[in-house]
Amino acid sequence: MVATSQAQFAAALFGPETMPLGLTTARGEADQSRFAVYRNNVSVALIKALEGRFPVTRRIVGDVFFRAMAHAFIAENKPKSPLIFEYGDALPSFIENFEPAAGLSYLADVARLEAGWTDAYHAAEGPVLAASDLGAMRQPMQCRFIAHPSAMLVKCSHPAGTIWAANQLAEVSPIAASGAETILIVRPFADVHVHILPVQDALFAERLFTGFNLGDAGQEALSRNDHFDFGTALVGLVALGAFAAIEEKGTT
Amino acid sequence: MNRNTLALALAGSLATALAASAAPLPAEKMVGMEKCYGIALKGQNDCAAGAGTSCAGTSEMDYNTKAWKAVPAGTCTTMNVDGHKGTLEPM
Amino acid sequence: MSDFTLPIRAGVGLKPEHYGDIIETKPDIGFFEVHAENYMGAGGPPHRYLERISELYPISLHGVGLSIGAEGPLDTAHLARLKHLNERYRPASFSEHLAWSTHESAFLSDLLPLPYTLATLHRVAEHVDEVQQALGRKMLLENPSTYVLFEESTIDEIDFLEAVAARTGCGLLLDVNNVMVSAVNHHLDPYAYIDRFPLHRVGEIHLAGYDEAFDGAGERLLIDAHGSAVLDDVLKLYRHTIARGGPRPTLVEWDNNIPDWQTLFAEALKADGVLARASARKVA
Repeated sequence: MVATSQAQFAAALFGPETMPLGLTTARGEADQSRFAVYRNNVSVALIKALEGRFPVTRRIVGDVFFRAMAHAFIAENKPKSPLIFEYGDALPSFIENFEPAAGLSYLADVARLEAGWTDAYHAAEGPVLAASDLGAMRQPMQCRFIAHPSAMLVKCSHPAGTIWAANQLAEVSPIAASGAETILIVRPFADVHVHILPVQDALFAERLFTGFNLGDAGQEALSRNDHFDFGTALVGLVALGAFAAIEEKGTT
Repeated sequence: MNRNTLALALAGSLATALAASAAPLPAEKMVGMEKCYGIALKGQNDCAAGAGTSCAGTSEMDYNTKAWKAVPAGTCTTMNVDGHKGTLEPM
Repeated sequence: MSDFTLPIRAGVGLKPEHYGDIIETKPDIGFFEVHAENYMGAGGPPHRYLERISELYPISLHGVGLSIGAEGPLDTAHLARLKHLNERYRPASFSEHLAWSTHESAFLSDLLPLPYTLATLHRVAEHVDEVQQALGRKMLLENPSTYVLFEESTIDEIDFLEAVAARTGCGLLLDVNNVMVSAVNHHLDPYAYIDRFPLHRVGEIHLAGYDEAFDGAGERLLIDAHGSAVLDDVLKLYRHTIARGGPRPTLVEWDNNIPDWQTLFAEALKADGVLARASARKVA
């Protein structure tokens, strides 16, 4: 009689084609194919979790490639938590270094957008700042803007937003996009929204999201791009639900 | 532009933009509207996020294609991104 | 059992695919069961929908990741998340599995089997105690589907479950599909299993569809796949269970290849029919 430790059992789930000692069947002999059911369950569950969270990434590369990539990812990244909707946070950075996908330089950016989409989907509820709240600022240039709990900017060096949107359709027509995109993902109320920010406003949004005050963020954006219009950018971001609150100088 | 002129310019620009967006809609309505700011992208799958948990097993067999043998063959082969097609040489 | 207040009717697993249909059509169904782990995000649509649905129907909270059968201690952070959900939604029932799914820091995303020995019995009972204390309520412990046996097992599965229930006061969740799966896989008579099962401790029954495969010796191997309608042999075993132990809240689980709402609802109505006939007989 051999005792089977869970350490052994767990290792064999991901290990080579062996099984832990101490397993048996009603026939009285161990059966590799039965242990394989567990190995298969774990593997399929994790692949499905990734397929579910990264549907566009999968569509771009096709099922076979995605599965192969998922296997390689799972081998190095076991889930750490039973909150399976969080699994795959590290997939975008994994893709960046995944040699077989090197020719699809935009793939990691698309995966980053998709990871952000689920993060926004599950993010906490929060107040949504309205354009009408902007009038209440006492010293506008000193104000900082607190991002909505669901809001994030995904800065992509490729047109990931355009690619993502094209792949939401049944037929993907050749897209003619190039260059960087800064994408705002936010769920101000029930639904997750994805927006490609106007090029001239990307830096401004980034600065506000990292805690710059309006004056500093506006000045920098203005000095970088002649098309930047402060009012349009701020009212625009606020109208998309990007912020939860305004912090006046001296309130913290 | 010095700090004061900047503040004035920004305040003016903000006042103009606020006036232009004057429709006193509640925020919830505004966000749902077609917007002229930013490009709003439509997601297909707004109600379900990912696979979720399962307390079931599966009889669907996991086939493990070796990553170095697999060639991306999804929509990347039809997209024209950054001026070049996304097809790949097998690595 | 007054601790378990699910209605004696059929319910189904709540799936995001069906949120819209349910809220729109408000089907006449006994309850909805949710996997606790899918509602452990901070906010968003899952909570918005569950809040609305929990105002309309009793909710059964079913954990799939607590790893009660683990050798190591329970994850107190996970227990705290469960406690939070339990307080927020006041579910009519909380249940988990006689299985393990975490080892050290890794989550293994399957319900893995454990040997039945005095040592594992002691540990499982301690974990169930800990859960019940943390949540301040009784829980139901579910019998597993298994594909292997352990050489070191010395206790029969039913005796094991019965002993855990006797020691901790927990109830049992009897998964009739799991009974069929394990019985076929381990050459047991599923009817004998039901006849020996302490049905008075059962607070809920699960039904689901299984898949069929063959093991290394060419023997029929059933897999608990939850990817189809409840199969006839399981329905028949369910009728036997109800005839023997009386009607119980019954859940139809369908987690893979999720069908449209009408198809799933029809499965629940089938089980409801069995329950209604049993209740009518009881009255008559």
